[in-house]
Amino acid sequence: MTPQVSGLLQDVLAHPGVLSGMVEALGSPLNVVVPQKIEENAATYRSVYGTHRLTGQVYFAHKANRSTALIRELAAGEIGVDVASLGELQHVLAAGFAGDRIMATGPKDADFLWLAAKVGAIVNADSEQELTELAEITARHRMPAVRAMIRLSAFDSPGVKVLSRPSRFGVHQRELPSVFDILDRHRDRIELLGVSYHLDTNGLDEKALALDGCLLAMHDAVTRGFAPRAIDIGGGFGANYLADRDEWESYTTELSKSVLGTRPSMTWQSHGYGLRAEAGTLRGALGIYPSYRPVAGARYLDELLSRTAPSLGRPFATLLMESMYDLYIEPGRALVDQCGLTLARVAEVRSTAAGETMVRLEANSRDISAEDHAVFMDPVFVCDDPIDADPVGVYLSGNLCLEDDLITRRRVTLPRMPVRGELLAFVNTAGYFMDFAADHALMQPIARKVAVYPAGDSWRWCLDDQYWPVKGNRE
Amino acid sequence: MKFDSILDVIGDTPLVRIDPGVHGLRNVDLYAKMEMLNPFGSVKDRPAWNMARAGLAEAVERGDAIVELSSGNTAKALAVVAAMHGLPFKSVTNRMKVPELKDLLLLLGAQIEELPGQTECLDPTDSEDPLTRMYRMLSEEGNGHLHTDQYFNPRNPEAHRVGTAPEIIKDLDGEGPDIFIACVGTAGSSTGVATVLRENNPDVRVVGLVSTKSDFIPGIRNIDEVNEVGLFDPNNYDVLEPVSAQQAIDGMLVLNRRCGILGGPTAGAAYFGAVRHLASIDATLETRKSAVFIVCDRVESYMSYVRRLRPELLKQPARPNSLDTVTEDELCSVESMDVTAARDWISVERPVVVDLRGSFAYSTLHIEGSINIVDELFDELVRGGLPFGAGQPALLVCPVGEKSARYAALLTRMGHRDVRSLRGGVVAWRDAGAPLVRD
Ligand SMILES: Cc1ncc(COP(=O)(O)O)c(C=O)c1O
Repeated sequence: MTPQVSGLLQDVLAHPGVLSGMVEALGSPLNVVVPQKIEENAATYRSVYGTHRLTGQVYFAHKANRSTALIRELAAGEIGVDVASLGELQHVLAAGFAGDRIMATGPKDADFLWLAAKVGAIVNADSEQELTELAEITARHRMPAVRAMIRLSAFDSPGVKVLSRPSRFGVHQRELPSVFDILDRHRDRIELLGVSYHLDTNGLDEKALALDGCLLAMHDAVTRGFAPRAIDIGGGFGANYLADRDEWESYTTELSKSVLGTRPSMTWQSHGYGLRAEAGTLRGALGIYPSYRPVAGARYLDELLSRTAPSLGRPFATLLMESMYDLYIEPGRALVDQCGLTLARVAEVRSTAAGETMVRLEANSRDISAEDHAVFMDPVFVCDDPIDADPVGVYLSGNLCLEDDLITRRRVTLPRMPVRGELLAFVNTAGYFMDFAADHALMQPIARKVAVYPAGDSWRWCLDDQYWPVKGNRE
Repeated sequence: MKFDSILDVIGDTPLVRIDPGVHGLRNVDLYAKMEMLNPFGSVKDRPAWNMARAGLAEAVERGDAIVELSSGNTAKALAVVAAMHGLPFKSVTNRMKVPELKDLLLLLGAQIEELPGQTECLDPTDSEDPLTRMYRMLSEEGNGHLHTDQYFNPRNPEAHRVGTAPEIIKDLDGEGPDIFIACVGTAGSSTGVATVLRENNPDVRVVGLVSTKSDFIPGIRNIDEVNEVGLFDPNNYDVLEPVSAQQAIDGMLVLNRRCGILGGPTAGAAYFGAVRHLASIDATLETRKSAVFIVCDRVESYMSYVRRLRPELLKQPARPNSLDTVTEDELCSVESMDVTAARDWISVERPVVVDLRGSFAYSTLHIEGSINIVDELFDELVRGGLPFGAGQPALLVCPVGEKSARYAALLTRMGHRDVRSLRGGVVAWRDAGAPLVRD
């Protein structure tokens, strides 16, 4: 399955010699990020705001990637950042972000709340307890009022009941009155900026219902005498990983046939990715990411804003504009689309007893992590010479002494049999995969990270934490 | 014809010949089996009644709810059956994609639950699929359910074995067709009918139609989804062929406009797939053949589907006094006032201030003394003429001052003598610190 590769990542892959030099020097696996691309991506979201005449702010969900270079690049630009831990907050402050462009989300302890309040970040409160604690902290430390948003999580639907996966985060719409009571008691400590949601779903219906619920909640807040100004709809806009729809569609068809046993297996030990066969019928659900996704990223946002609100009956964009509410979004994965790749060196090629080819990489499944997130895309074979051979199907395994350390549970296609020392590139790993799961398991080092940037007609690189936005060409 | 119950009206649908001048086949007689003429409107009336009937007496005694995984015609038929017998009907669906049907189901008293979408940060161990969820719901809630289980229940194809298929054979003078074409959803109609046709004539050719993978045609599954159906057996079909949503609408238009058969998109898919398949063999035929396809349901509930896929088909004639007729020149001569000027004007001339935003936004905050005429309503009003006297000064207000300028231009053209627009709209008003009220 051919990955989608665009922008600077294409140029990077066109220099195999430089890539192997980098891996030689810094080890395998090696993460590569493209800081300047993230600003370009931010602009596509801005343009959706433009077409709908909306005001507001884009906050990059830091959790999608640990790169310092990406954060510094963003600090130099216009958009904000969403931090979900004390560590992330410290990281973005050190990169040059001023507090007023920071949004603190996720579960927060006292330390995190204190620093967020201290620097004037927006606190996106997860629960009533958190709000109360925030009020106490600002009182005890004599801080000016903190801007806060209330994260909502479950919404009642009119007409047909739209079920939503239960969330561990946020408060139910019905708990709002008691949240307002807390805010009422602490009017001088907490300024209610608005309400928010982040739902872990790619279903537009659920998000539409949530946005509808947020608009109603804003109305309630105004009725209670608050002056909220913004609705934050979180992230989860998704990314498209594959270049070709037909490849994706025929692959998934063949996969279900192989689970049914009507064609040879395509996966390690006939792994079914959630599907199983029962009496000739396919059961379960294909638990994989929709890797080919025409409606993702900024287009997904556009679709959501163009929808008609279920209970309010006008398009969301119109409702937001008419109500003069700012729209905040927190894309993570979608904002680092095409912003990174992971290089891994081939350690060994061998045949299994069953006659399969197993390619072991100098990396483990947590370094690559695409399998954890069930994103199906083949690696790019990094090689100097033109390839004149038949493609081969191989399994990719990792360097841990664990049976389940498979980088792919499905056979991937390479243009020829690789040999020890050659490089594979996993493109577009910047969102979550690059370092979400990576750790020091079995004392293996975790990947170093480098930033690449255009310089003259070519590109240059430096260690991720050596990158500052003054590097590279800019128009 | 006299019946004791509408349920007795189910079945005995006619077979209608398609005019050869329309389909253009030289050696094939093509017939439509008119399942849309069933009393609840679809091919699902028969299996729904056949499945529900089995446990109905006990269900009525216990007051059980009828439950089914359906967002379409089965749900509709079952909702009627349940309502007629005083039972609740619950449907759990993957996604209700046809809004009109949703409303109809609610009207019939159904309770519908839509299942959540896939998680974005994927959890590969999550095995939540609609069927599993449905079965879990049934077992959690204990007894009290009559689960019709259309994707697995043998009483679904049976309804077509005992009804639909013999009717087709009888109407073709005992011969049965040479070729049978059916869309595959639960596989009930295609399996049930095909089994009997084969017993009658082992040489019958059965064509199953599925939707192209990325398309949605109501009631039909795609080539992967059919594998999730317990009743589906690929050996029942000589060939499975895909039809796209656009092709389904093409077929539907021919049926609707040229044959007077007001079938929906699935009927259109069946007709399109039938003609495409038959055309490829028509020239090679040496004897006359007959073919039958099924008209699954009626077109009426698919207007939003058509609007989405072929908006041009529903294009309205140009309206008089519509906003899109405003020219650049007209727009340029509109008097747009900034906030300070507007406030002075309001206090001196007391114009009527019309806020064109939605009532939700208006009721939250608005300019004191303004009235709210939502743009959609304003559109309706100006079609018939000026909504207030031509000499009554008026200030139009919208969110950012664009729409109000267009309306001001339109009203001016219609003869209004002093209509102005608030430049920058209510946003500029707020940003200038001018008062907004909620009263
Ligand atoms: C509060 C919040 N905002 C934003 C995101 C980013 O979502 P995504 O990367 O899918 O855009 C997450 C992810 O979990 C989140 O929890």
